Amino acid sequence: MVNKDIDFRQVALEHLDALYGFAMVLTRNQTEAEDLVQETYLRAMRAFGQLVPDSNLKSWLFTIMRNIWRNQIRHIRSGPQFVEISSDELQSNSSAYFESDQDPHMLLVRKVEQETVRAAIEKLPEHFREIIVLRDLENFSYQQIANILDCPAGTVMSRLARARTQLNILLNQWQNLATQR
Amino acid sequence: MLEVNYCKRIQEQIALYLDDELEGQEKIEVQTHLQTCESCKQTYEQVKSLLTQIHQIKPLYPAPITLRKSIEKILDDAPSPYQASPELHNKVLAILETAKESKERKASKLYYKKVFVALAATLVIFVMSFSYWINYNKSISNSTSEFALMAVDTHLRHQKGQLPLEINSNSAEDISKWFANKLSFGVKLPNYQEVSGQEKLYQLEGGRLVGFKNDYAAYISYKMQNRPITLVVTSSSVATPSGGEEIISKGLTFHYSVIRDLKVISWTDRGLTYALISDLAERGQQSCIVCHSGTEDKDFIDGLKIKS
Ligand SMILES: [Zn+2]
Repeated sequence: MVNKDIDFRQVALEHLDALYGFAMVLTRNQTEAEDLVQETYLRAMRAFGQLVPDSNLKSWLFTIMRNIWRNQIRHIRSGPQFVEISSDELQSNSSAYFESDQDPHMLLVRKVEQETVRAAIEKLPEHFREIIVLRDLENFSYQQIANILDCPAGTVMSRLARARTQLNILLNQWQNLATQR
Repeated sequence: MLEVNYCKRIQEQIALYLDDELEGQEKIEVQTHLQTCESCKQTYEQVKSLLTQIHQIKPLYPAPITLRKSIEKILDDAPSPYQASPELHNKVLAILETAKESKERKASKLYYKKVFVALAATLVIFVMSFSYWINYNKSISNSTSEFALMAVDTHLRHQKGQLPLEINSNSAEDISKWFANKLSFGVKLPNYQEVSGQEKLYQLEGGRLVGFKNDYAAYISYKMQNRPITLVVTSSSVATPSGGEEIISKGLTFHYSVIRDLKVISWTDRGLTYALISDLAERGQQSCIVCHSGTEDKDFIDGLKIKS
């Protein structure tokens, strides 16, 4: 039991950066993100007695965080459910970023600065930001993401494809701008 | 055109392939095709490059050091997972017999009486004063020993300073207010001083939330003659009293047991399950009944009887 305690502490701490990153992506505000991380750990700590031994601690922590955030949004913005979609959201399907009019070598040849990618992610609407972070940064499986977001796995697949497409287009635009200068 | 369509289908699968979401035949199909088709291979490289590019920015935002410190503190305060049930079957009858042999009983009778009056008041007042508005769940799990263990565990941890109160107050009203909206049920604490009359037996100390069954339970802390008393309340949909000795009083069934040298009384009333933990250490583990059979605490004791 003591070992399990230490494990929980260690493993939980290992996920701190990831959780904070996710919190920043959700809140876009450092203070709110810190509060969200703390509340997540507090709840996790209180509920740890109920954690099934083989369940994935990391995805469980992310699920707790996402739920807290959703509930906060519901309380704070008691209007219609807040959906943040930029006006230029692209109607596209999963194969859109393989269009032949894009320079096929662009992504291979040019490494965009990390800041550019980060900035591009920040420009995405919330439901795209979070899914990119969950899959492409945190390596959760589609099913785990579906659990965290409380949506069908099929939705994960299509939303992820659209999120990546939009991110890719943003990156390409910026790279083109950079090369034109 | 058939080939183009096939390539299109493969290209749609490339993201899934890279995300390791394909299995068996589908996976083999993509793998095989990529070895022979230049165009699809190119797409594959593009997507892979994008994904690598994204992945490389991890960690997106490193946690500030101050946050790390406070999380470490939270984790250090974490309760350990509840341990397997210790032998908790100190039966009331057995204790009764032990107690009969005690020569010191008379001397400590007054103390017992105070304790009992206080406990009885707690039971009755809580039973009558808690209100609830929860979704009552008919499928009751047999998990009271777990709930009682959790209650004992939190009681002990609080004594060790590991579970600080989240609200410190001796006002029933303030604590009730604090619990409002934090729980899936309502908690309205009675005001003891008003109810229990002249003798000031209780001191309300405060409360906090504790986790149980993926939900919060209310943890309420008291002092009685400088001894700590804890009341933990949760929804009866997640905990049902069981085990120990059953004592029926005024239509309610109280479960009495001794866990880790603490007296535990648990019961369910109107959708809520309660566990009352008291530390009567130097008096041994005599129960209320032990102390008070034959005293004039008629109000409560008359209703007490061991269920056969
Ligand atoms: Zn092909």
